[in-house]
Amino acid sequence: MEPRFTPIPKNLQFRMGLLLGLTVVVVAVFVIYVLYARGVFEASQRLTLVSDNAEGVGIGMDLTFSGFPVGRVYRIALAEDGRARIDIRVPLKDARWLKQSTIFTMERGIVGSAKLRAITANLQDAPLPDGAERNVLRGDTTEEIPRLVATLRGVLENAEEMTKQGGSIQASLANLRAVSERLAGKSGALAAVLGSEDDARKVIATIDRANALLGSIAGVSKRLDDLLVKTDKRVYGEGGVMDGTQRAVAQANAILGDVKESLKRVDAILADAQVVSANAKSASGDLAALRAEVDVSVRKIGGLVDEINRKWPFERKTEIKLP
Amino acid sequence: MTLADAQAWLRAWARAGQFALMAAAAGFSRSTYTAQTRAVLLKQMYFTAWEVAVGFTLFASLLSLVVVGITINAARVYGLAPYALELVFRVLVLEMLPFGTALFIAIRSGSALSTEVALMHVTGELRRMHAEGLDPFEQEFVPRVVAAALSVLALTVLSCGMAMVLAYVGMYGFSPWGFAEYTHTVARVFSEPALAGLALKCIVFGVVVAVIPIAAGLDATSNVKSAPVAVMGGMVRLVLALGLLEVLSLAVKYV
Repeated sequence: MEPRFTPIPKNLQFRMGLLLGLTVVVVAVFVIYVLYARGVFEASQRLTLVSDNAEGVGIGMDLTFSGFPVGRVYRIALAEDGRARIDIRVPLKDARWLKQSTIFTMERGIVGSAKLRAITANLQDAPLPDGAERNVLRGDTTEEIPRLVATLRGVLENAEEMTKQGGSIQASLANLRAVSERLAGKSGALAAVLGSEDDARKVIATIDRANALLGSIAGVSKRLDDLLVKTDKRVYGEGGVMDGTQRAVAQANAILGDVKESLKRVDAILADAQVVSANAKSASGDLAALRAEVDVSVRKIGGLVDEINRKWPFERKTEIKLP
Repeated sequence: MTLADAQAWLRAWARAGQFALMAAAAGFSRSTYTAQTRAVLLKQMYFTAWEVAVGFTLFASLLSLVVVGITINAARVYGLAPYALELVFRVLVLEMLPFGTALFIAIRSGSALSTEVALMHVTGELRRMHAEGLDPFEQEFVPRVVAAALSVLALTVLSCGMAMVLAYVGMYGFSPWGFAEYTHTVARVFSEPALAGLALKCIVFGVVVAVIPIAAGLDATSNVKSAPVAVMGGMVRLVLALGLLEVLSLAVKYV
């Protein structure tokens, strides 16, 4: 088939005008839009940031505040003192976020260029004047990485040391397995605590022996009980030590009654002797008899007291004062 | 490749260069634009741009849509979404679409121009024009070069405009609240040098697309068999020139 020629339309000029007009309009709108976007139509103020290293900073880069771009790097230059000067243009409508106390930071991430940030703590502060010059605080992720890697390597080496064959974790796991095996064994937890089956058996034998010992102690205590009962009977029972003592005391009372009687008679005789002093000769025979009687009484009392002392350990004076 | 071949190759390039300079000089001269040359210009523009404008813009939109989608999705996956739009602008608007448009017109209209001029040679029309005291350069070639340059410019502008709109929609959907960020990215990418570079590139592409095929067509002789050889050589030189210009443009911007 022969190629067909398109007939040239009559309003060719109009159509071409339309096409070219459309092109011109699109270009004009786009250029105006770009100029607007680049802030040509709005007033801006200048800000100079001074840094010891402007690596990663590029012209056209943003200065952000709370994540929003508020300014753009206009120029970067090296000053006479060897420090980098970063000129920034801040549109006036965004300049209100920058105050006298605003801090400027420059951070470099692993991906992307450096980031310039403005941080304003006090928004009531006086506004940043036009042409202000500020130092930049720098934070560099890539500088941190080698340190991070070194630390991480240490950690990994430790972990490797712990987990390798014969390492402490392996040994701990082996111990744990041994303990759990013993727990599951015949002597159970006792073997796990003591470490071996033999020791566990020894402990069980010891407990058995302690039980036997407790049995014999029970027998001993029973015999001791009996002994105490007997002692009680002997001391306090009928015919016991206390009984005897009681009787001795009664005897002593009777003897003392006798002594009292004797002394009354002595008193009477002495009175008689006084009255009948003249008849001393006849009275002297009576005196000899009386003296013998008193001697007998005194000896009786001494014997009685000795007996009491022997039977009952009372602390008392055995001496009896004669009047 | 023999020495003679190399010389012929160099001569062809030199002729194209010389022709380009002359065409540029004539293009900027007011006397070139007579009623007759304007008619040739409009006719050439009609065939080069108008006929394909709608189809080409649709194709460029489809391509843009796909590239925007891929770029933005990939950037989001890697956590680089803030750079997605910038990448789209740089890849599509600054490089792919101007180059693609120039290549499209080179293949479609460049070959036709080259063949037409070669046939004018073969049929003796050029000689007849000379005999009649008409300058085929001013009457036929310069309007075609200007028309090709304007066509490339118009189609590039239309396709890039579509791509900018699609980039906004691809990035933010139909929300109006992405406008501030979009504007900001536009400001960052389209600096004054970038804009001037884009304009210059479009014009140079447009001129080259017409100049090299016409110069190649002029290489033909009255022998019919010389026409295909001339057209083929012209097309190779044209695609090579476009590629080299694109590489040069990239190198100036990014190297």
